[in-house]
Amino acid sequence: MIELKGVTRRFGEAVAVDNIDLTIETGEVCVLVGSSGCGKSTTLRMINRLLPRTSGEILVDGEDINKADPEALRLNMGYAIQSTGLFPHWTVARNIGVVPTLLKWPVQKRDERVTELLALLGLDPETDARKYPHQLSGGQAQRVGVARALAGDPNILLMDEPFGALDAITRENLQQEMLRIQRQLNKTTVFVTHDIDEALKLASRIAVMDQGRIIQHDTPEAILRRPASAFVENLIGKGDRGLKLLALRTVSDLMERHPEPRHSEPGSDSLNESDSLRIALSMMLWTNTEKLPVLDATGAEVGIINREQLMKVGA
Amino acid sequence: MSSSTGLPNRVIPVLALAAFVSVWLLNLGVVQPNRIVAGTGYGLFGATGWLGAGIVSSLLCVVVVLAAKPIRNRFWVLALLLTAALMSLPLLLEVFALRKLPADSAYARIGIGAGFWCLAFFLALMLLETLSQLKASRRLQLSVVLLVAAGWWLCAAREGLSSLSLIREYANRADQFSQALTAHLSLSLGAVSISAVLAFGLALAMVRRERLRRPLLGLVSFMQTIPSLALFGLLIAPLGALSAAFPALQALGIRGIGWAPALLALIAYSLLPMVRNTYVALMEVPEPVVDAGRGMGMSERQVFLQVKLPLALPVIMEGVRITTIQAIGLTAVAALIGAGGFGTFIFQGLGQAAMDLVLLGALPTVFLALAADALLSALKFQETSR
Repeated sequence: MIELKGVTRRFGEAVAVDNIDLTIETGEVCVLVGSSGCGKSTTLRMINRLLPRTSGEILVDGEDINKADPEALRLNMGYAIQSTGLFPHWTVARNIGVVPTLLKWPVQKRDERVTELLALLGLDPETDARKYPHQLSGGQAQRVGVARALAGDPNILLMDEPFGALDAITRENLQQEMLRIQRQLNKTTVFVTHDIDEALKLASRIAVMDQGRIIQHDTPEAILRRPASAFVENLIGKGDRGLKLLALRTVSDLMERHPEPRHSEPGSDSLNESDSLRIALSMMLWTNTEKLPVLDATGAEVGIINREQLMKVGA
Repeated sequence: MSSSTGLPNRVIPVLALAAFVSVWLLNLGVVQPNRIVAGTGYGLFGATGWLGAGIVSSLLCVVVVLAAKPIRNRFWVLALLLTAALMSLPLLLEVFALRKLPADSAYARIGIGAGFWCLAFFLALMLLETLSQLKASRRLQLSVVLLVAAGWWLCAAREGLSSLSLIREYANRADQFSQALTAHLSLSLGAVSISAVLAFGLALAMVRRERLRRPLLGLVSFMQTIPSLALFGLLIAPLGALSAAFPALQALGIRGIGWAPALLALIAYSLLPMVRNTYVALMEVPEPVVDAGRGMGMSERQVFLQVKLPLALPVIMEGVRITTIQAIGLTAVAALIGAGGFGTFIFQGLGQAAMDLVLLGALPTVFLALAADALLSALKFQETSR
């Protein structure tokens, strides 16, 4: 658990972070979202003491972080940044192994960990491990950046716009990977982004920041349904709020489940269990149908979803 | 093989033509009755007769034809041919000595003429062009250079060239020559290593304290602007006074003239390129990389040793390379204040109007600078390809 109590950071006269209170529960993904200069990165960098705070208290599991040795503190917090910050003179494997090396793990344990992480992030442990960062694509480099952040098996993960510089498709892929990895590992994560869609997708709770203050701190659904101010309303976009709400939930949450899986007709229009309700609606619009069958991963029909139920979600 | 191998090469025929004209028009060598008198010059035909003139001329013709015709593997043939020609070039002088040196005169000697130097120069340029057409690896380039050097070394050791003026001058001063080599190397390399340590410290101070940057860079740049002769001279008075005041310094060999002022001046000149390169190299390490290092939990020391220094090293080494070449050249001038080194021969030769003695000082200086360049470039190359 990370607690920020009355934390302020000034740069000279300017106040970057203004007396914020924020609690991040163990295992949740807290996304700090806001426009550039709102203080979200500053907040993140105070948590691992890359920036000292001007006043206030930051506690990790009840301990004031200023009492710990800063290096020891950071070794227990994975750190991934937008420009990846991979060491250009080291191979991918050595980059990922940096924290285990700093923690003085035995060589064999470290190498196993590197192989495990390469596989986890969808990289090839054979060929990619020996490459240098300049030989990687942007998406691959960012995967390595995330793997490096996870390598020391830290309790906390700090991510500063890690997918900000990627193209839309690669970003989408990496967001999916993040969700999958988070389901597996359950790290307490602080994630900074300026992209509200990314925030809605990844967050357990979102903290909307503006001018150094936290405007609203709540679940994605609550933020969409009850924006605390005109600023938040503007940020989430009034027009497609309904669609964003649908995007938060999956088909399996809402479908009518068959008592037993049925055989499905191949080639007919259908949805997957893991598709979002937004995709379900889009599909119904496209095919002009009231109902659509839902398939599980094996391709068997496990339920059905109809349009009326979908329409009620937004209410 | 590059795609341009099929096209006629324009550079090599032009160089070959220049070589042809200069070797026929200029004197290949000179016969001197003794080391100071001007002597009689001989052209290619006069010096080496039909055989020598024929071989040189036909070699150049073959080179032109090879360069112009799209024959397969012609650049490899050219490289072999030109390397062999350069290696055996001193044999021309041997033939010349055999034909024209008066047998009865003990002081007679032969000097190298402008034609010979031009031929060597143009052959080397053609070889360079051929190697670049072949996209030769560094290793191949280095072995070609070593082959040519070995060829010249073997030729110089032969009895037939003992009458060459340059070799005579060397034979008279073999002891002094090795002393000069030691003095030259220890002065220049000593200055480079001391200033490398100093420059590293200064650059670190500049990185840590922004306030120091301007005054320090200003100071080392200012030292670079003092003419070298003036700096050598300027140091005589203060060092002389120092050693007069403290006899202990005198016992160490620190006096107004000699190695001490030379070393100080060389260090002063070496500081600018080293400080500047080291500072720029350390400042240009990308900020996100340093940020990531810190964020991962590296201490400042680990960030410096494992991230900043390795990334800055190629640029720092470039500074060392430039400085070394510069220091080797400047050490020759330091002979004026009695520091020793190859400059001694140059100034003696100038004083006695014995040009071959000047060459005896100048050629090894050039060779040392080139060798240092090749060596340090090879080191740097390894660093980046790692």
